[in-house]
Amino acid sequence: MPERKSDVMQGTLDLMVLKTLESMGTLHGYGIARRIEQVSANSLSLNQGTIYPALLRLEQRGWIAAEWGVSETGRRARFYSLTASGRKEIQQETENWERIAATMARFLAPSR
Amino acid sequence: MTPIRVLFRRFASLFRKRRLDAELEEELRAHIELAAEEYRMQGLSPEEARRMALRAFGGVTQTHEQYRMERGLPLIESIWHDIAFGVRQLRKNPGFTLIAAISLALAIGANTTIFSVAKQVLYDRLSVPQSAELRLLRWNGDSNIVLHQMWGDFDPTTDGGMTGSVFSYPVFQQLKNHNSVMQDLFAFKEDSMNATVRGNAQRVVVAMVSGNYYAGLKVRPQTGRAIQLSDDSVPGAGAVAVISDGLWERQFSRSPSALGQTIKVNGALLTIIGVNPKGFTGAKNVQMSPDLFVPLTMQPLIDPKGKQGALLDDQNLSWLNVMGRLRPDVSETKAQAALEAQLQAAIRSTMTLQAGDTTPRLVLADGNRGLHFADGIFKKPVYVLLTLTGLVLLLACANIANLLLARGAQRQREMSVRLALGAKRSRILRQMLTESLLLAVLGGVGGLMLAYFARNAIPGLATYSWEHAAANMPFDWGVFAFCSVVTLLTGTLFGLAPAWMAAHTAVSSSLKESAQCTTRRKGIGGKSIVAFQIALSMLLVVGAGLFVRTMMGLNAVDIGFNPDHLILFEIQPPAARYAGTKDVVRLHDQLKQRIQVLPGVESVSLAQTAYIADNMDNMDFLPEGESFAQDSRQGKPDAELFNVVGLNFFKTMEIPMVAGSSFGAQDTATSPKVAIINQALARKRFPGTNPIGKRFKADRNAASPWIQIVGICANTHYASLLTAPPAQFFLPYVQESDVRGMVYQVRTRTSPAALAPALRHVVQSIDPDLPIVDLRTQREQIDATLQVQRALAALAASFGLLALALACVGIYGVMAYSVVQRTSEIGIRLALGAPPVQVRCMVLRESTWIAGVGIVAGLASALVLTRLVRSMLFGIGPYDPVTMASCTVLLLAIALAASWLPARRAARIEPMEALRHE
Repeated sequence: MPERKSDVMQGTLDLMVLKTLESMGTLHGYGIARRIEQVSANSLSLNQGTIYPALLRLEQRGWIAAEWGVSETGRRARFYSLTASGRKEIQQETENWERIAATMARFLAPSR
Repeated sequence: MTPIRVLFRRFASLFRKRRLDAELEEELRAHIELAAEEYRMQGLSPEEARRMALRAFGGVTQTHEQYRMERGLPLIESIWHDIAFGVRQLRKNPGFTLIAAISLALAIGANTTIFSVAKQVLYDRLSVPQSAELRLLRWNGDSNIVLHQMWGDFDPTTDGGMTGSVFSYPVFQQLKNHNSVMQDLFAFKEDSMNATVRGNAQRVVVAMVSGNYYAGLKVRPQTGRAIQLSDDSVPGAGAVAVISDGLWERQFSRSPSALGQTIKVNGALLTIIGVNPKGFTGAKNVQMSPDLFVPLTMQPLIDPKGKQGALLDDQNLSWLNVMGRLRPDVSETKAQAALEAQLQAAIRSTMTLQAGDTTPRLVLADGNRGLHFADGIFKKPVYVLLTLTGLVLLLACANIANLLLARGAQRQREMSVRLALGAKRSRILRQMLTESLLLAVLGGVGGLMLAYFARNAIPGLATYSWEHAAANMPFDWGVFAFCSVVTLLTGTLFGLAPAWMAAHTAVSSSLKESAQCTTRRKGIGGKSIVAFQIALSMLLVVGAGLFVRTMMGLNAVDIGFNPDHLILFEIQPPAARYAGTKDVVRLHDQLKQRIQVLPGVESVSLAQTAYIADNMDNMDFLPEGESFAQDSRQGKPDAELFNVVGLNFFKTMEIPMVAGSSFGAQDTATSPKVAIINQALARKRFPGTNPIGKRFKADRNAASPWIQIVGICANTHYASLLTAPPAQFFLPYVQESDVRGMVYQVRTRTSPAALAPALRHVVQSIDPDLPIVDLRTQREQIDATLQVQRALAALAASFGLLALALACVGIYGVMAYSVVQRTSEIGIRLALGAPPVQVRCMVLRESTWIAGVGIVAGLASALVLTRLVRSMLFGIGPYDPVTMASCTVLLLAIALAASWLPARRAARIEPMEALRHE
């Protein structure tokens, strides 16, 4: 099974999830979705459902771990947390992302 | 690292599908609930909150789908679906599945079995390390070659010369000592000897090998040690033996205590020092291993030959096979040139060359299959069998393709619906191919099982029925791989056309009600496949007919003596114990007298050569008044076939005397020498005169006594049934100066098994170390020489029957299908007044037409191909009109019989129903 090439949106979502878990610690799927909406200040039109395939992908790669637990409102939910290799991945992805952003910025600068 | 982990997790998830689905469901439900809770806290009503939560989530079903795509392996899952669907399809049509699987299993099984035989007989190499390096030393000589005395592997060539691979011991020594172009040269010779192993007297095959044999072959015994140089240095000093894995199993039950025990071989005691690895067959052949391996220098003690007994310093007799490994730093041509020069020198220094004598030229032959002696006998039959089974497989493929095509037409609506619903054509192609491959795998598994059980049922082509069958028919990965590849190929072959048809179904036309009309074109495709099947069957049936008629011809041959109720066995008195001819003759006399009086024995005789055993002996035959031709190859041949026999040989064998008298009690060692000749010899050497009373000499020695012809007997076959009865003469053994082993003929109505204990008792009471060798009936002996022909006839006949059955199914299938397709047309014909007989004839005419085309095509190809097997036929030519005509009639009859039911059904169609059917 070849690795599916992540389009920008998908790669972005993965990084957002990882960053969320880094700053918030252990969180369930709904919590992650809400947090991303809050941080992006609703400027993203994100179907909350799309984070589940992303969570699965990250879990398969071993960057996050999942565990069943109980939410603050007493509901059974699946909680995700960052693993050691996930932390390493964040660092790499962040550098990668910054490089792309910087490059894009250079392209976009003259037309301003 | 990460991609492998992902792949692994995805793969693992395939097996926990249900649980993972449940977990996902619960997780998503929790998400919606959490979201709804939050909306409720913001003051929305429960319904409103739930609606908002679902809207924020997006599509739950889509998420499920996407999640599953990421979780498992979609390709594997869809293949799994194809397989599951295919299995359902096959189970829905158990009749079709059964017929297809059985015919495939038979065809694949036949191919696999024949392949395993072919692999062993034609392709397997000696089981020694780096066997490709091995070279066998051979020589070619012209008609004046200096080598005259040979024992072992040599053959006349078509141009009057001689080719062989035997060398004298002195020549071998010189070649070995002066060799600098190959790795060490080693020698070996196999011979049968009498051995007593743990008290059992038996005939064993012994390989006498040079001291460097094991080192040269790079073989180590599985236990104990190998024969080494020191064992072979002084004649008679190395009284040791390495035994084969087979003998170890048979006589010692694989006990390690075998090491150090002694075996008596022709009277000499040998100590067992090692056991060869399993699968090692020696250097001579790849089929069967000798039982014992002993140092070459033991030859004078255990296998004395000729006047001196020792062959080691005999400079004239060539008897040893020599092998060596190529050296990586010397090219083969260079090695051959150097060895050639050494052979010339060795022959000149060991032999006296007369004027006109020529020396042989040395060639290096591929040694990785030993002496290749099996090739000449089995190559052609095995190729014929491979061809026949290949044709059977093709036939089975055509048959299934045909059935699938007919079924595909029925499934056209299914395919149209799938296409209309958006299935890709490639997906349908894959689905149909999966079904074909499933069928093929069913057949392949059946075929593999069949081959596993059939491999030992195939008559051991290289062994006789009365020998312990030690030939190890391999059933290894090679055979398994062959079977798998054949299975996949057949599945693709017969599945491709139907799959293509299915994938290219026109969507709109077959969804309409009158879809039937579009399928006529494919009906014709089916018919040409049936014609092809009939052509193939014709070919197979003609082949079967030719080989069966050959076998019938051989069975009907008049042998010249009565082969029924005749038991044969051999007694080989070892020279160590029975030194002089007198001792040997006394032994034979004693044995004969004791056996004569056993209950159930009518008559006993003995002879030097057993009949119809592929053995022959010839001797000079020079009537008084003639002189020896200068060159026997140009003048008339001086030597004739002969046999040394007991006095009542003709009575025991029931060979009628034509003139004169038989041998009798008056013929003794001291009486005048007498002989009997057969009619063929009388006609050949005494044309127009009465030979009785004539005298001749049986050697070139002027001082030897004259032999008088006292009688003429009827002709008998000699070495084989395949050649005409040859000219022969017979001498009584009591008057011979050199008598050794003899074959006994016992005329009795008792079975060999019932007589054996009494015979053993008689022999053991005279000499406990003397084994009864090759106890068999004369019929078994004859059958043994016809094994190849019998196996060919039996196998070809069964393939022919299989072909007929498949052709039958093919014709029935296609005609029945055609009648169903034409139901409305036939209905209209009947409604317009056509009599049912006419409709029946119409169907029969169509099938006869198809069969006729197939038969003509089959006959044409048979005429081309049967010429290739001309040399394997007996009593008939390759264009045998009886075979051709009867096969044509047989196939026509089969075609008519197979289409009878569909024709009857067509004639009984109810016009009204048929029209409503439209």
